[in-house]
Amino acid sequence: MSKESKELAAKAQGWDAKRVGNLILNNALLIIMIIAVIAIAISNPRFVTPNSLINIVSQTAAYLPVALGVAGCIVLTGTDLSAGRIVGLTACVGASLLQAVDGANKMWPNIGVLPIPVVLLIVVALGALIGAFNGFFVGKFKLHPFIVTLATQLIIYTALLVYVKMGNNGGMAISGLDKSYSNFVVGNPPLLTFGDIRIPNYVIIAVVLTALMWFIWNKTTFGKNMFALGANEEAARVSGVNVLKTTIMVFALAGAMYSFTGFIEGARVASNTANTGFNYELDGIAACVIGGVSFVGGIGKISGIVIGVLMLRLIFVGLNMMQINQDLFYLIKGAIILFACTLDMRKYLVKK
Amino acid sequence: MKKKLLAGLLALGMVASLAACSNTETTTSTNPSTAPSTESTAPSTGADMSSLDVGVFYYQYSDVYITSVRNQMDAKLDELGVKYTDYDGQNTQPTQLDQINTAITNGCNLLIVNIVETSSPDAAQQAADAAKNAGIPIIFFNREVSDDVVNSYENCAFVGTDAAEAGHMQGEMIADYLIENYDAVDLNGDGKISYVLFKGQEGNAEAEYRTQFSVEDANKILAENGHGTAEDPALTFYAPDNTSGYLVDTTGAWSAQAATDYMNTILAEYTEANGNMVEMVIANNDGMAEGAISALQGAGYNQEGGDKIIPVFGVDAIDSAKEKIDKGIMTGTVMQDAEGMADTLIALLTNVGNGEELMANTDSFNVDDSVAKIRVPYGLYQGE
Repeated sequence: MSKESKELAAKAQGWDAKRVGNLILNNALLIIMIIAVIAIAISNPRFVTPNSLINIVSQTAAYLPVALGVAGCIVLTGTDLSAGRIVGLTACVGASLLQAVDGANKMWPNIGVLPIPVVLLIVVALGALIGAFNGFFVGKFKLHPFIVTLATQLIIYTALLVYVKMGNNGGMAISGLDKSYSNFVVGNPPLLTFGDIRIPNYVIIAVVLTALMWFIWNKTTFGKNMFALGANEEAARVSGVNVLKTTIMVFALAGAMYSFTGFIEGARVASNTANTGFNYELDGIAACVIGGVSFVGGIGKISGIVIGVLMLRLIFVGLNMMQINQDLFYLIKGAIILFACTLDMRKYLVKK
Repeated sequence: MKKKLLAGLLALGMVASLAACSNTETTTSTNPSTAPSTESTAPSTGADMSSLDVGVFYYQYSDVYITSVRNQMDAKLDELGVKYTDYDGQNTQPTQLDQINTAITNGCNLLIVNIVETSSPDAAQQAADAAKNAGIPIIFFNREVSDDVVNSYENCAFVGTDAAEAGHMQGEMIADYLIENYDAVDLNGDGKISYVLFKGQEGNAEAEYRTQFSVEDANKILAENGHGTAEDPALTFYAPDNTSGYLVDTTGAWSAQAATDYMNTILAEYTEANGNMVEMVIANNDGMAEGAISALQGAGYNQEGGDKIIPVFGVDAIDSAKEKIDKGIMTGTVMQDAEGMADTLIALLTNVGNGEELMANTDSFNVDDSVAKIRVPYGLYQGE
């Protein structure tokens, strides 16, 4: 047999049932997602109209930063339960600094409307600071992030309850936002407006953040250290990774990401209360797990996180468009999380 | 050295958390001596309010309307110089019952309770029994408890609104608005008003009544005025396949965010170009109305000064919703009177402080026939 025919034979042999099975299993989520999209589209063709697709993309964009942030904590074999409350606090703080001057219920009547970059900087700094606080306790005292963030989310909730009662607000919903803020978040850039089809600005914000996170995770020393630390802390320490610094930075980065969702939600929902952001962390963590960010640690891809968030929004929008009972939403979500995790672990069990 | 630092840090943390607790959970009046003797709600001056130790149990601090009641109550109690403690039930009935029992053992002698669980009377009955065993009065407010609970103990009363009334008033308001503006609202000119209804929570009496009566009453009045008939009503749910006739916040939080996500999804499918645009939005509360408006604005509707307005109706009349109505980007809301609620509660509290019967001096209020339930009337708000 010549060399070429040997290779061909090897190739042909390679395509046996097992290999096909593995290929299907390894891409099971993508396959399920495509089947789901086709099924929904057959049941309601309007699901695949441009407006509907943009709606799905927009909702994905709004929830994406939380998932991008919490993913880093999961890579460190941790988690972050304070994400939702940080979203709430930053949404309320951001919105309160950007209320229209003519509003009767302006929370801080004396400050006017601050420039958007300043407010964005304030809320991102606030989120990063809280995140760094989480990271400090995790890294310095070796407390499990579950415990630390369980505690801090309670502390932040008090801050949130106190904050919404401050100034002129008296616990009311923070609304009546300045046009500049609304336009900055939910406005449509002329470049991306095609007749009736309008893509809101926050989709662009989410794309930029995704690119930024991809760069940080894959192209920086900090990103490499994060994965090393998540895979094996002792090995990372021995090879010279500063564990405390890296942990603090991962949580601070996560906090900054939550602030972006807070900043977006502040204008997207435009009615901010102490309830804003409640339970956002659960969707974020679920999206990460679905997208293959493993609780084993040291494993995860940005593309997986995007798929995870997209998957959850597809379920929400799809069930609505098929007029299926909302109660089933949780069943389907739970089943997908369980299925995704099982698939995930299967890979490592095989390796062992 | 390291250990000392750690201990110091922990101690600091504890002190900080204690301070935080006393700020939010326990608002005890510190200066009873400055209580004015001419309090308008008090029927007699010189009442001995210093013997009172009141526990006020709110179902959830993050609820906007309840917070406005809390602000009113705190101000009025401070003014009276009454010792009181506020509790956050965190929307969890077991937590609230624990708080009530703890407060009783702590010497509390008047319970004012905004019960968490409204879909069964058991929790309220437990609270009433706890008060009865301790021999102290209990006043429920806002979230309705059953007549049996109130009648089970002579020192038990309820102050609230008539849960069905908000729904009826919202329905009337919608009908009145539509009779005036029917053709303008009916965007596709099919003689029907396609609407969406956002429900705050499953199994909550107020949400159920508002959901049912807002549409029922509006249809009835519209039929009397020549729009639709009883069999073929003028208001039709935007998605005929959805037989429930509403979209509910499945987390039960009456949240603006749920309404935004639903509305965005609807607007992606139902547009004027398709001839099936949603022509009206009804929401169980103002938060959900605001969430829907935000989504509508994203699609180019309900801009300030714009001419493409989809009428949006809410309930509660929170400040930001009233502002939206004044600006013409929201259409109307049913006003829950937070101050009226607080005034009524204070009147009953004053009775207790004066050693009178709980329901004394309540002739001026709207009291139910066979049970000690006071109804604070709703109002309408459709702009100044």
